[in-house]
Amino acid sequence: MKRIVVKNLNKKFTLDHKKRAGALAKIVGVFSRSEESKRLLTVAEDVSFEVEQGEIIGIIGHNGSGKSTLLRLISEIYEKDSGDIETNGKLIYLNGYGQGLQPRLTMRENIYLMGALMGLSQNDVKKRFDEIVEFSGLSNFVDAKAYKFSSGMVTRLNFSVTMHCVKHHNPEILLLDEIFSGGGDIEFFDKSTKLVENLVQGGATVILVSHDLGLIEKYSERVIWLENGKIREQGSAEKVLSAYKNQ
Amino acid sequence: MKIDSVLSLSYSIAKANFKLRNEGSYLGIFWYLLSPLSLFLILLFIRGNISGVEPIEHYPLYLLIGLVMINFFSQLIHSAISVIQNNAGFIKSIKIPLEVFVFSIVLQSIFSHIFEVVLIALFFIYFNMSLIGVLFYLIVFVFFAVFVLGVCLLSATLGLYVSDLGNIWTIASQLLFFLTPTFYVVHPGTHLYLGNLFNPIFYFMTAARDVAIYGTMPAWWMIGVMLAVSILSFCVGAFVFNRYKGRFAELV
Repeated sequence: MKRIVVKNLNKKFTLDHKKRAGALAKIVGVFSRSEESKRLLTVAEDVSFEVEQGEIIGIIGHNGSGKSTLLRLISEIYEKDSGDIETNGKLIYLNGYGQGLQPRLTMRENIYLMGALMGLSQNDVKKRFDEIVEFSGLSNFVDAKAYKFSSGMVTRLNFSVTMHCVKHHNPEILLLDEIFSGGGDIEFFDKSTKLVENLVQGGATVILVSHDLGLIEKYSERVIWLENGKIREQGSAEKVLSAYKNQ
Repeated sequence: MKIDSVLSLSYSIAKANFKLRNEGSYLGIFWYLLSPLSLFLILLFIRGNISGVEPIEHYPLYLLIGLVMINFFSQLIHSAISVIQNNAGFIKSIKIPLEVFVFSIVLQSIFSHIFEVVLIALFFIYFNMSLIGVLFYLIVFVFFAVFVLGVCLLSATLGLYVSDLGNIWTIASQLLFFLTPTFYVVHPGTHLYLGNLFNPIFYFMTAARDVAIYGTMPAWWMIGVMLAVSILSFCVGAFVFNRYKGRFAELV
C-alpha cells in the first residue's frame, strides 16, 4: 500500500514580500500599470516519488535545498503550486519539540496547552498526564513555572509532551524534520533516542530529513538527495549517500 | 478537524493567554476593569465640569455601555491584525486549523468582557434599575460579538498582506472612538448622525442602550441593519480568511 505519492510537484516562493507590503505601496500598485517583476525562488521542481507502507526514507541535501519545504508541502502546511500529493493515513509532521511552551505557565498548564496544540482533547491529556510527567523525570516540579526550569529540564518537558502526543495519535505517516533524540543529559538522551527509535521502527511510514548522514544511513532503506528543489538522485541509501559524500 | 475540537483548542489557547495576562499581578483581573473605569471617570468628570451640555438620561450607564463596547471592538481588531504573525512558530510547524488563533483572541476578550458586564450590573443595582436590562444587553452583545468575529477574521488576513495595518488601525480606532456617540448623543438630521448610519458600531451601541437602559425596543430597521451587519461581517470574514489561509504559512 502506498502511503505517500508525490507527482510532478512544483512550488515557488515569492521573495521581497515585505518591501511591497505597506498600505501605500498596495494602493500605488493598484493604480500603476508597470508590473514590477516578482523575484521567485524555486523550492520544489518536478518532484516525484512514492513511499510504501512501513518504509523509512531519508532526505538529504544542503541548506536551502527544499527538504523542510517538501515535508511542509506533504503535510499541507504550505500550498502547492501544481502537481499532486496524496497521503493515506494519519500524518504527523515534527520539526522540533515543544511547540508553544509558555515560560510563565506551570508545567501542568503547559502540558495541557501543548497537548491541545498537538490535537489532544483535555481528557486525552489527562489520561496521558502521569506518563508524560514520569518520562520527563520532573515529577517534583509539576506545579512550578516553566521559566524556573533549566534548559535541560525544558528539553525534557518538551520532548516528553511531544512524543507522548505523537504516540497517542498513533500516526501511520511520520515526517521528522531534523529531529531525533530529545537531547539533554546522557541518561535522557539514550531514553529519548530509544523512544523515537521505537516509533520510527514501529511500522509507520517515515520520512527523515537530516544532515546527520550516520542517522540516515542507520534507519533509511532509501534516500532522496535534493538540490535546489529538484531530486538530484534517489535510490538505495548506500548508493545515494556515497554519491553525496563524493560530490 | 471537527468544529468542536476547533472550539476546544481555541478555548485552551484563550484560557492560557488569559492566565498569562493576569499572572504575577496583584490587581489581576481588575486590570481589565481599570482601563474602561478610568476613562469612564475622566469623561464623567469632564462632563460634570462643562456648562451647557445637553442632559442625557442615566448618563453614567449610557457612557459605560458605550465605552465597553467600543473598547471590545478596538482592542480585538488590534490583536487580530497581528495574531497570525505572532503565532508564526506554530503555523510553520504544526498542521493546525488557523481559525483557532482568531477564535481564541475573541474568546479571551469575551472572558474579560464578563468582568465588565459584572461592573455594568453593579451600576444597575446602584442606580436602582432592573437587572433584566443587563440580560437584554447580553442579547445585543451576542450579535455584536458575531460582527466583531467577522471583522477579526478579515483583519487577521489583511494584517498579513498590509504590513502597516496596525499603525493605520491605531489612528482609525481613535477617530472611530470620537466619531461614534460613545460619550455624547447624536440627533437625526445632523451630519454626525448621517455619518454614523455608515458606522456598524452605532447600531449595536444604540440598540444595547435602548434595551438595557431605556427599556425600549430599538426601531425595526435598526434591528434589521444590526442582524444583517452581523451575518454579512461573519460571512465576508470567514470567506476571505478561508480563501487566503493556505498561504499564511508562507507569509509569516
